[in-house]
Amino acid sequence: MSTRIVVPRPRVIDRSRLSYIRLRSASPLQVPRPRLIDRSQLIYLTLGKVPQARKINPAHVHYLRPEPSVLEKNILSPETPGTENFEPFAITPQLEQEADRRIAQYPDDQKRSAVLPLLHEVQHRFGFISPESIDWVAQKLDIAPIKVVEVVTFYPGFRQKAPGKLHFRVCRTLSCAMGGSYELMAKICELTGIDRGSADTHKDPISVSPCGKFSVEYAECLASCGTAPVCLVNDDFHEGVLPEKAQELIAQYNG
Amino acid sequence: MSDITYLPGKEPHANEHRLIFKNVDRQGWDTSIDTYIKDGGYEMLKKGLGMEPKAIIDEVKTSGLRGRGGAGFPTGIKWGFIPPDNQKPVYLICNCDESEPGTFKDRYIVHQDPHQLIEGMILSAFAVGAHTAYIYIREEFPEAAITLEKAIAEARAKNLLGKNILSSGFDLEIYVHRGAAAYICGEETGLIESLEGKRPYPRIKPPYFPAAMGLYMAPTIVNNVESLCHVVHILRMGGDEYVKLGTPRNSGTRILCVSGDVKKPGYFEVQVGKVTFRELLYEMCGGPKDGREFKAVIPGGSSSKVLRCEESFKIGRGDEAKDITFWDLPLDFDTLAAAGSMAGSGGVIVMDDSRRMSWVLNNITHFYAHESCGQCTPCREGSTWMKKVSDRIEDGSATPEDVKTLEEIAYQIDGKTVCAFGEASAWPVEAMIDKFREELVGETSEKNDFKSAERLEQEKFLSTSF
Repeated sequence: MSTRIVVPRPRVIDRSRLSYIRLRSASPLQVPRPRLIDRSQLIYLTLGKVPQARKINPAHVHYLRPEPSVLEKNILSPETPGTENFEPFAITPQLEQEADRRIAQYPDDQKRSAVLPLLHEVQHRFGFISPESIDWVAQKLDIAPIKVVEVVTFYPGFRQKAPGKLHFRVCRTLSCAMGGSYELMAKICELTGIDRGSADTHKDPISVSPCGKFSVEYAECLASCGTAPVCLVNDDFHEGVLPEKAQELIAQYNG
Repeated sequence: MSDITYLPGKEPHANEHRLIFKNVDRQGWDTSIDTYIKDGGYEMLKKGLGMEPKAIIDEVKTSGLRGRGGAGFPTGIKWGFIPPDNQKPVYLICNCDESEPGTFKDRYIVHQDPHQLIEGMILSAFAVGAHTAYIYIREEFPEAAITLEKAIAEARAKNLLGKNILSSGFDLEIYVHRGAAAYICGEETGLIESLEGKRPYPRIKPPYFPAAMGLYMAPTIVNNVESLCHVVHILRMGGDEYVKLGTPRNSGTRILCVSGDVKKPGYFEVQVGKVTFRELLYEMCGGPKDGREFKAVIPGGSSSKVLRCEESFKIGRGDEAKDITFWDLPLDFDTLAAAGSMAGSGGVIVMDDSRRMSWVLNNITHFYAHESCGQCTPCREGSTWMKKVSDRIEDGSATPEDVKTLEEIAYQIDGKTVCAFGEASAWPVEAMIDKFREELVGETSEKNDFKSAERLEQEKFLSTSF
């Protein structure tokens, strides 16, 4: 007589169906309460009235509060003490004329190429790239404003907030750093009353003095490593600016 | 050349051989077209326009000119890559986005001798059949952009640009396009994207070789400022004569830019491979600063691998291999490649024994973390990680394990990205760890129990009761 060995088949549970199984076996009395509260409003109710309900990490609150989106934040130009140094953006005939000249430098079907020259033109005249100017550039080139925004937010050469009347760009790359550019930056900040403090060099590199007259920024390699340390003051290039010459440099523009 | 006098204190060194920098720091020199023409300028243009375009390309091929932007690719061969059956317009782009740390040669050409560049560009455009050319100039050269635009207007007034140049039937327009302070725009496909008005995310090669699919998907030649200037001199001397300058396979002259801890930093135009590190650093640059000794040299811009001054290298293959000390290394493309580094863009950065390598490494990693365009994950994330780890080494909170981590990150970026930026950011880190491992490990401590502020905060939050 042969014995048949029965091996029990392992029970495989499809875990994705687990909740369904539980739901079915639940007693019919446990009917979920109907929702009377609009769930999108729940967060505010919790925040306001039932403090014990859930502990909220303040660092996470931005998920809960309707704040401007990342995109909106990037388009907005925050006010700085330097804002009054510049005229607000306005479409002038000279600007239009210069823009048309720039656009003509590229093939007719490739107007988008002029986005950098146009933004330079705006920044040169109005100090920084404002949301209105982004709209104007987009309109001028027949492209969506987002295509201008992506360019503005990528290039460190474009700024979205007003700098001071004198904008110092100190080179911080190797040769200049060896020549003392960190000290130069510290000296300029000391003399102009700028607190670089928590300046995030990547997202918000510009620090403006409270009086709005000066601003500083670190630049990456200004290509004059042999005469380190170097800096740009607005569009003027200065070489061999040792930290002790900072006073002289500022006086040159103040006088 | 004997009748040229230079500004006092700026005279070229006896080892120099000036072609491109002939007019830099010259007494009585200015950027106007009259000065340039009086000095024999635009003569080669007349000669070139009388030649067949093919003949100019052949002349450049014979000269063996290698690109001076960093990769050292032969210029004549690059020009030959334009498809012969091409129907689209051809573009020529001058890459004046000189942003490799340590390099400052193009600055002097565009600021002091813009017409030399324009003449070189007209000749090159004629050779490759381009009727539109752009000079992509970095944003940090605002003066140079004005100088170049003025020079272009002057040239146009003399019919050296525009329609029917010098009655040869050849039309060319040159425009100046300003960048916006992004290092990645020095990469040729990144530059093209930027010129198209987009973010400069480099394109992958293949298939996007600029010579076939470049600007607006048309054939495009991108050349460095210095390479384009050399074209004028190749035509003047003839390719056969030019190739005699320098050493075989490394012909011509090139500009070495020395910065850092030397007595007299500066630019030197020398025949490629004719000058060794000893001659360059001791004779031409006046040696180390008083009481100091040379420690390390970055030979070709900050993305090339660092060399130690007491190293020696095996150069050559098989039986011909020779031991050469660092000081006897000639600065040419092939020898430096054999020594494990590269000639790059000619930016020599010198460090003496007062420099801590962790500080240098930290500065370099900050640069690459800032300049990564963010297209490829290994580079975008890796460059920031390298920055963070090197920050730890620098501020003394690192463990010996961190040096290993840093090395691992670098090897995981190397060769895994669309463009050469990945290598550019990884090589200096790899080399720095390879050559100064003991020094870097010495800055770390076993006792450090790394917990960043972020992590501590997280833990604090997690430990609170809900």
